Amino acid sequence: MKCKDVHNKLIFFLEGDLSEAEMKAVQEHLDECRECALFAEELKLTFSILETEKKPEVNPFFYTRVKAKLEKQEEQSIERRPVLARVLQPVAFSLILLLAIYGGIKFGATSAEQSASLTLKQELIPYLNEMDVEPIENFLMQ
Amino acid sequence: MSDNDIIQQLKQGNEQAFRKLVDSYQGLVVNTCFGLLHNREDAEDVAQDVFVEVYRSVSNFRADAKVSTWLYRIAVNRSLNHIRDNKKHRWLSSFESDVKAEKKRLLQVESSQSDQPEFELENKQRAVILHEAISSLPENQKVAFTLNKYEELSYNEIAEVMELSVSSVESLLFRAKKNLQKKLYECYRKKCM
Repeated sequence: MKCKDVHNKLIFFLEGDLSEAEMKAVQEHLDECRECALFAEELKLTFSILETEKKPEVNPFFYTRVKAKLEKQEEQSIERRPVLARVLQPVAFSLILLLAIYGGIKFGATSAEQSASLTLKQELIPYLNEMDVEPIENFLMQ
Repeated sequence: MSDNDIIQQLKQGNEQAFRKLVDSYQGLVVNTCFGLLHNREDAEDVAQDVFVEVYRSVSNFRADAKVSTWLYRIAVNRSLNHIRDNKKHRWLSSFESDVKAEKKRLLQVESSQSDQPEFELENKQRAVILHEAISSLPENQKVAFTLNKYEELSYNEIAEVMELSVSSVESLLFRAKKNLQKKLYECYRKKCM
């Protein structure tokens, strides 16, 4: 087996993924070739790093930080209400309130006018309609 | 409490269920993010975003799906997005220049801590080289390799997470290992190892 062939198979050799015959051939080459053996050793040491990194330490404040992020995002979503909603909503409420006050004043004035004319009418009716107060017998007697 | 119970309670807004989910799957999510990002702080930051997304989108979770598969998918997508965002700032760099820059940075840090044994420094340099080599892989190969090596997922499980066939995963892992071997050999020849 040539050095180039070994380099192509080295990672699979280290993981034991080659056939029995190929494993044997690579091993024989490594026993004879110092350069390839050095690279194989370096590759093995480099991949062994993965084993040490597999299980990271658990951060005890992890959940607290997740909660803090959730709360921050909620606050931001409230702050990020559209400008129209933030400006127009109070303006619309103020307009409705002003309209209600104006309507109230107008309605109050109209009903006061109506009640004044009604009182006048009630006061005049007895004089205009004397038939109500004078019995028919008195009228015929005259 | 089973995963399904946790999800059902989380859908009803139960905070204890959310805490249980975070406690149970924090390691899985942080480890997956670290496998793709190779930076502890970034991995934790992205993992926190993963759980925020889980909290917000739990109503879309299908009852027949596995919680771990769902979490792996979100963790992978979030990590890849993080890498893409960072890549915009360094689109001209190559694998070798990245290794050199990282090693230089590492040496500067280590020179201030001269009491450290030599083999520790060598291992840190090896870690830098390995991380840069994994980072330089195409996205799909990187994801398959990370799930296989950091999370020890089987080909079937990786196929489920990546929504690919098992043979595609086999092919991705084969090419990932070939590419890593090639990059590491080039690095070894140029004495960056």
